[in-house]
Amino acid sequence: MDILVQTLADGLVIGAFYSLIALGYTMVFGIIKLLNFAHGDLYMLGAFVGYTLLSVVSGNGSGAGLMGIIVVLFLTMVIVGAIGMGIERVAYRPLLLAPRLSILITAIGVSLFLENGSMLFWGAQYQVYPLQLSHDGWEVFGAHITYTQIGLVIISALLMLGLHLFISRTLYGKAMRAIAHDQTACHLMGINVHKVIALTFFIGASLAAGAGTMAGAYYGTVNFMMGFIIGLKAFTAAVLGGIGSIPGAMLGGLLLGMMETAGTFLFGGSWKDVVAFSLLILILVLKPTGIMGEKVTERM
Amino acid sequence: MNPLGKKLSIILSLVVACCLPFLTNNYWLDVATLALFYIVLAQGLNVVVGFAGLLDLGYAAFFAVGAYTTGILMTVYQWSFWLTLPVSMAIAAVVGVIIGAPTLRLRSDYLAIVTLGFGEIIRILAINLDITGSASGIYGIPRPSIGSYMLAGQMDFYYLILIIAILAVLAVKRLGSSRIGRAWMYIREDEDAAEAMGINRIKMKLLAYSIGAVIGSLGGSVFAVKMSAIAPLSFSFTQSIMILLAVVLGGLGSIPGVVLGAVLVIALPELLRSVEDWRYLIFGVALVAMMLFRPQGLWPARYDTGKDSAHEADTLRTEGSDRDVQLDSEKCNA
Amino acid sequence: MKKWGSAIVATMLTLSLAVAGCANQGQSSGAADGNEILVGVLLPVTGNNATDGKDMQNAIEMAVKKVNDAGGVLGKKLKIEVADDGCDPQMATTAANKLVSQNVVAVVGGYCSGATLPSSGVFKNANIPLIVPAANSAKLPAQGYDTLFLINGLTPDQAQTAADYMAANQAKKVALVHDNSAYAKDLADFAKAAVEKSGGTVVAYEAINPEEKDFSALVTKLKGIGPDATYFTGYYAAGGLMVKQFKQKGVSGLFFVGDGSFSEDVIKIAGAENAEGLLITATPTAEFIEGAEAFTTEYKATYNNLAPGPFSALSYNAVNLLADAIKRANSTDPDAIKKAIKETKDFKALGQTISFNAQNTLDTSNFAVLKVAGGKFTLAK
Repeated sequence: MDILVQTLADGLVIGAFYSLIALGYTMVFGIIKLLNFAHGDLYMLGAFVGYTLLSVVSGNGSGAGLMGIIVVLFLTMVIVGAIGMGIERVAYRPLLLAPRLSILITAIGVSLFLENGSMLFWGAQYQVYPLQLSHDGWEVFGAHITYTQIGLVIISALLMLGLHLFISRTLYGKAMRAIAHDQTACHLMGINVHKVIALTFFIGASLAAGAGTMAGAYYGTVNFMMGFIIGLKAFTAAVLGGIGSIPGAMLGGLLLGMMETAGTFLFGGSWKDVVAFSLLILILVLKPTGIMGEKVTERM
Repeated sequence: MNPLGKKLSIILSLVVACCLPFLTNNYWLDVATLALFYIVLAQGLNVVVGFAGLLDLGYAAFFAVGAYTTGILMTVYQWSFWLTLPVSMAIAAVVGVIIGAPTLRLRSDYLAIVTLGFGEIIRILAINLDITGSASGIYGIPRPSIGSYMLAGQMDFYYLILIIAILAVLAVKRLGSSRIGRAWMYIREDEDAAEAMGINRIKMKLLAYSIGAVIGSLGGSVFAVKMSAIAPLSFSFTQSIMILLAVVLGGLGSIPGVVLGAVLVIALPELLRSVEDWRYLIFGVALVAMMLFRPQGLWPARYDTGKDSAHEADTLRTEGSDRDVQLDSEKCNA
Repeated sequence: MKKWGSAIVATMLTLSLAVAGCANQGQSSGAADGNEILVGVLLPVTGNNATDGKDMQNAIEMAVKKVNDAGGVLGKKLKIEVADDGCDPQMATTAANKLVSQNVVAVVGGYCSGATLPSSGVFKNANIPLIVPAANSAKLPAQGYDTLFLINGLTPDQAQTAADYMAANQAKKVALVHDNSAYAKDLADFAKAAVEKSGGTVVAYEAINPEEKDFSALVTKLKGIGPDATYFTGYYAAGGLMVKQFKQKGVSGLFFVGDGSFSEDVIKIAGAENAEGLLITATPTAEFIEGAEAFTTEYKATYNNLAPGPFSALSYNAVNLLADAIKRANSTDPDAIKKAIKETKDFKALGQTISFNAQNTLDTSNFAVLKVAGGKFTLAK
């Protein structure tokens, strides 16, 4: 029982990170049908920007305080969000008319640029976050659940709730949904399509950056390649939930986190990814649109 | 392009390719050998992505199947290299069908992730299984021989892979203009219409996967004997992406374009070696820049309807399955 | 017509790049003039393993500077030519061929065993000696190349050291965790054999993905098993995180890491309080050997206060060994250098005394168990 609860709690934390990143994938895909390979690197960038800001705020190990951490988190999200918007403007927007695969290649180029740029700027070494999160917590059914874990899950939930409200209640959110549905009609209706796409990139990038900073603080280390594998996993999560669907991305992230922990228990760590990918394939074969994806026939 | 110029340029590049070992040192010969490997792999992927329009993000899996089949048969069972070729190609064809079959119903974006998943599964299997030498791979793969002559030097492998690359290019070219090739392109352009015209969609898609897999595994088999040691590190997701890069960079479905793309993907990072840390950064910027200026690829495909008098108007239709997106956004931005 | 034109442009572009590249290469390859000895360095300086690759490159540059400041070798200066192997077999062969074509007299390098296996073949064919400071898969010497020298202790010796210490401390139930790298899996396999031979049982044999950071599922699983000792055989970045999550979850028993995790960074990443009591199987360097402290200090001073990585000292030794061998050979002929390296007898280096056995690996391994006490490495007894 204690092990089950512990696993659920740990799976929830990693699932929350996956979800935050998967949201960016899904939003960008929903709106311009691009698999944004550079998205995982925005998570990495978020972790590094957060690292630099925290080092400035906390000086020499004096600690940043809760307020400081929240300010840093907010600033990081804004900075990286702006970078995400910049990338869209420079690298993706001119290619919106081009074949879809060429914009995919651009995304790979951007990813290489971000990874290696970060290596040159912050160094290839693992950097240790200037922050030690407390390991106190509650004992629930014999499992140790830390306040940090609870805090991270709450922040993630708040971010996702905010996004949900933004998309379902505001005019911009409505515009986003409309563009995902039919770009041409939107344009005819007088919606500024480019502006909404830029906003989508801003939100996606800042969510990834938020996840990056939180992951950096939670695990304690950052390095320039950290975005690659988690980007891959988050992409998997987005597809699992049904790409283009926002609740799907959240669910997909949580589910993938759980699947991985279950896989570790049943088959051992070496086979964890095989289990996750096999389940993914199985789910897609049985329900080809992902769990919450809409049934769309590919029209030509 | 007039037919004479086309012939001349092909002959010229063949002459250069044949003379290359005498013109350069071992390093550039090795780079050229790698580029030829990539030409083989990229042509194989070109069948899947370029012709049939099925986005495959796990193509390195077939490369791995070929390399490991040859590696295991030669080290454990002491087979001759030439005998391993048909076996590895047969296994790859079967794996191609296994990977292809569940993806047939999927939307193209899901197809991408499923192939990615299969690619990763094959790589993890290679890391975990004992027969594949686990994480450090297989080493001491013997050199192949023709009669009593043993292929050992770099030049021997260069010519071996050159022959295979020429065969692959010819085969893919013939396929592309055959009845099968036209069926693939029809499926790519409009699946429903293709089916309505009596094309067996499932059979054709599986055939594309299998042929792509066979070409990839052929490259893998030669790779194994050329390197004499293979490890799971060679078959990562990055490898799949680099092969895809070659195809898209050159121009989807275009045979000379894919050759050019493969050469660039290998040559550019090597040329940038002198800038050490900066090389992949510059490579990334170069990719973005190339795509911004030539999004359809450096040497896009033209679909002749038969004779050499090309219908220029047809070149507009090369964007394949992306047309719907494209048209939508075109209208949007009009 | 338009297409044809663009094809020409593309071809021109490629050609001009090639010419530029050749010219460039011409400059650097011919650089070893009469007063310099060109030594190749083959390391992963990009990609996932760039961290350790850079550490090793730093140490190599430091050693070269030191040798040159002390008057060089045979009246000439050492000059290094770095080639990136990216820990990828195919990149490694190309990089090795590049070094060969630049006429290096010897090569120092080799970090990932998977990439070093094929690249060592290139040097064998070119008859150029290769001194490997890090990669130590048992498969490397098994190739039987006379040009290949390993100065890192071999995996079976390290595994035995760990197993002996566990047996001496009544740790019977042992959990083994590797990170899927060739080196770590090798070590875990040998440790499994050694533990079972000395009467223990392996209760868990697991792997983590070093590119990830969350190992909580595995750690919780270990907690459920309750091992007497856990041995993590992978590299330090994941090692530090493993130690941290292991302690925070309160898993029972001793925690060991292999020499890939022998770095101050492990303590930094895990946090001093979590690293307390951590056991390391390694060839002791830094604090215990005369001159090693100076090395650490100098390294930090040169490289922006960065601590040396797990293979920095060994890389440093490799250069010094090579310089010594060239002096003894009194020639830069690869055959003579190869012979001189082979004949190395009791060469005193940081943390090790180097002599080679018939397989061109270290004659005696001096693996020991170290322990973290008060945030520092000490010898465990």
